[in-house]
Amino acid sequence: MGTILVVAEIQKGAIRDASYELVAAARGIEGAEVNGLVIGSGVGDLASEFASKGAGKTLVVDDPAAANYNVDVWSKAIKAAAEASGADLILISNTPTGWDVAPRIAAGLDCAFVSDAIRVAGGDGGYNLVRRIFNGKLDAEVSTSGKTVASMQPGAGTAYEGSSDGGTEALSTDLSAIAKFVEIKIAASTGVDLTKADVIVSGGRGVGDPEKFPEIIQPLADALGGAMGASRPVVDAGWLDHPYQVGSSGQIVAPKLYIAAGISGAIQHLVGMKASNFIVAINKDPDAPIFEVADVGIVADLFDIVPALSEAVKAAKG
Amino acid sequence: MKVMVCLKQVPHQDARLDVNADGTWIQEDNIKFEINSYDTYAVEEALRLKDAGDAEVVVVSIGPDRVTAALRTALGMGADRAVHVNDAAAQGADALGIAKILAAVAKEEGADVIFAGLMAEDDNASAIPPMVAELLGFPSATGVLATDFSADTVTVERELEGGALEVVELPKPCLIAIQSGANQVRYASLKGIMQAKKKPVDVKTLADLGLAESASAAQNKTTVNKVYVPAKGDTAEILSGSTDEVVGQLVTKIKELGLL
Ligand SMILES: Cc1cc2nc3c(=O)[nH]c(=O)nc-3n(C[C@H](O)[C@H](O)[C@H](O)COP(=O)(O)OP(=O)(O)OC[C@H]3O[C@@H](n4cnc5c(N)ncnc54)[C@H](O)[C@@H]3O)c2cc1C
Ligand SMILES: Cc1cc2nc3c(=O)[nH]c(=O)nc-3n(C[C@H](O)[C@H](O)[C@H](O)COP(=O)(O)OP(=O)(O)OC[C@H]3O[C@@H](n4cnc5c(N)ncnc54)[C@H](O)[C@@H]3O)c2cc1C
Repeated sequence: MGTILVVAEIQKGAIRDASYELVAAARGIEGAEVNGLVIGSGVGDLASEFASKGAGKTLVVDDPAAANYNVDVWSKAIKAAAEASGADLILISNTPTGWDVAPRIAAGLDCAFVSDAIRVAGGDGGYNLVRRIFNGKLDAEVSTSGKTVASMQPGAGTAYEGSSDGGTEALSTDLSAIAKFVEIKIAASTGVDLTKADVIVSGGRGVGDPEKFPEIIQPLADALGGAMGASRPVVDAGWLDHPYQVGSSGQIVAPKLYIAAGISGAIQHLVGMKASNFIVAINKDPDAPIFEVADVGIVADLFDIVPALSEAVKAAKG
Repeated sequence: MKVMVCLKQVPHQDARLDVNADGTWIQEDNIKFEINSYDTYAVEEALRLKDAGDAEVVVVSIGPDRVTAALRTALGMGADRAVHVNDAAAQGADALGIAKILAAVAKEEGADVIFAGLMAEDDNASAIPPMVAELLGFPSATGVLATDFSADTVTVERELEGGALEVVELPKPCLIAIQSGANQVRYASLKGIMQAKKKPVDVKTLADLGLAESASAAQNKTTVNKVYVPAKGDTAEILSGSTDEVVGQLVTKIKELGLL
């Protein structure tokens, strides 16, 4: 195997855990040489850290133009680093940055592309990867030929904890951009703070009808002295407001009890609730991925179970 | 202004998924298909531009005969024209192959703005839209929840993690990949569906686009070798019995947690 270029991502002034997961994935490929890439402004120290904590020789694109993420700047920086390092595998995390820029790199280099992989290994003239498809219901084994760009699912592996030496090397390249960064806005949060609830009862697309949330989901949450939550499609359809949404683009919660009704268990939802102390899943599909993270599962129609559970809880409280 | 919307037809979200005989994709016979949900938001975003002014909206899809239904639905919602790239050689092409086809159509159409979905619900790749932009030299933004058009530029809001939004300004021509929930999607009205029957659907082959040698599945650099139901890891304890029995067992568990 050849050289693997691991692209770091900086969040809130630190290198993300996901970047160290990439390092671990790269180090797990037999016979490969690992190089790092850090892009930003005033990031010399972070680059040294990356170089010494597993990434090995690390290229640094340190430029005021890279102070904020910009698709054109990142695209040019990564292509230049790919060439400078001679990498035949470029690894990036499948985050809002990764899915914005990684496909552009592959198209620019006219090479193979695999996204949101959970495992990567060396292959015959390329790489072998495993990825989830159909929102986690199936897995796919994919192989690439020649140079490959791959994005990895954050949290799918563990972060590298070893050390390395290799030092840093400045890379300067044309960073002119067509797209223009304007600002980062934080969406105003309103009212509902699910992170404080001991019990959350969430309904998904399987609830099927906006009226059913006040009719059956909220009463169970009330009976348990908890709060109501939802998956994204419920919020997208306008059935509930965004503050009710649990998941990677909603609230990240860890209550004592989380009940998921009519939720399939897509990774973006799991990220938001899998740290809960006790998880109950109610779903009529026995193969739904939600059962993989649940402690207790009920394979049945939620319209039978949820109202009966509300009554039983009320009765138990006396 | 010419607005192109890339639209994929995918298995219906409630379709039963069975792996096909050679284990390389799902069994597509006898299942229902629908427009990829992310793409419905992209169509709506384009139609709002049309409602507001003089945009012509062209919906484009690559796929077999069944894709006509998806294009007709988008025409029924209000799109003006459709392009259907229907070529057996494009079946099973990898993301870059599909992107090359969409880029060729965009060139032929002279698109000023290209809308796409953030992700297809079947293969979950989130790959094609930025590739199309790169091939055309257009700026791009993905995961877009809001757009604000002026004469020469579009200001978009990209969804990041933890409730943050990134505001980016893109000069036209550009590509925008829409995130679900960006708007409330309209339904095709009965009148719209009637009118759609008269709207043109151009059917094209790879040869028509000059791509016979460069964008077919035979050119794939990425090959799907095997599709399977993931091995069950640490799954849940499944409660069984009548409704009353499972509910009773659950109440006992909740009591053990000290929550009752
Ligand atoms: C960038 C990005 C960010 C995202 N962020 C989030 C996020 O923050 N939160 C989030 O939730 N999603 C998020 N998503 C969307 C995610 O990928 C899934 O589409 C979503 O989680 C699916 O929601 P669901 O489980 O409710 O719907 P589906 O996947 O459609 O599942 C519905 C389930 O209900 C079951 N069901 C149907 N009827 C019944 C019944 N009568 N009784 C019992 N069960 C029934 C079905 O078997 C099915 O499993 C994000 C996606 C992207 C790309
Ligand atoms: C039988 C079969 C075999 C396959 N074999 C392989 C293989 O060997 N190797 C491989 O890499 N891929 C293969 N694929 C293709 C693969 O499933 C995907 O189409 C490809 O990887 C792109 O991913 P995606 O569809 O998730 O697109 P994404 O990048 O997630 O799609 C994002 C957006 O791009 C646009 N878009 C996507 N597809 C289309 C389209 N067809 N027409 C118009 N707009 C579109 C839509 O706006 C969509 O929302 C195969 C597919 C089938 C059906």
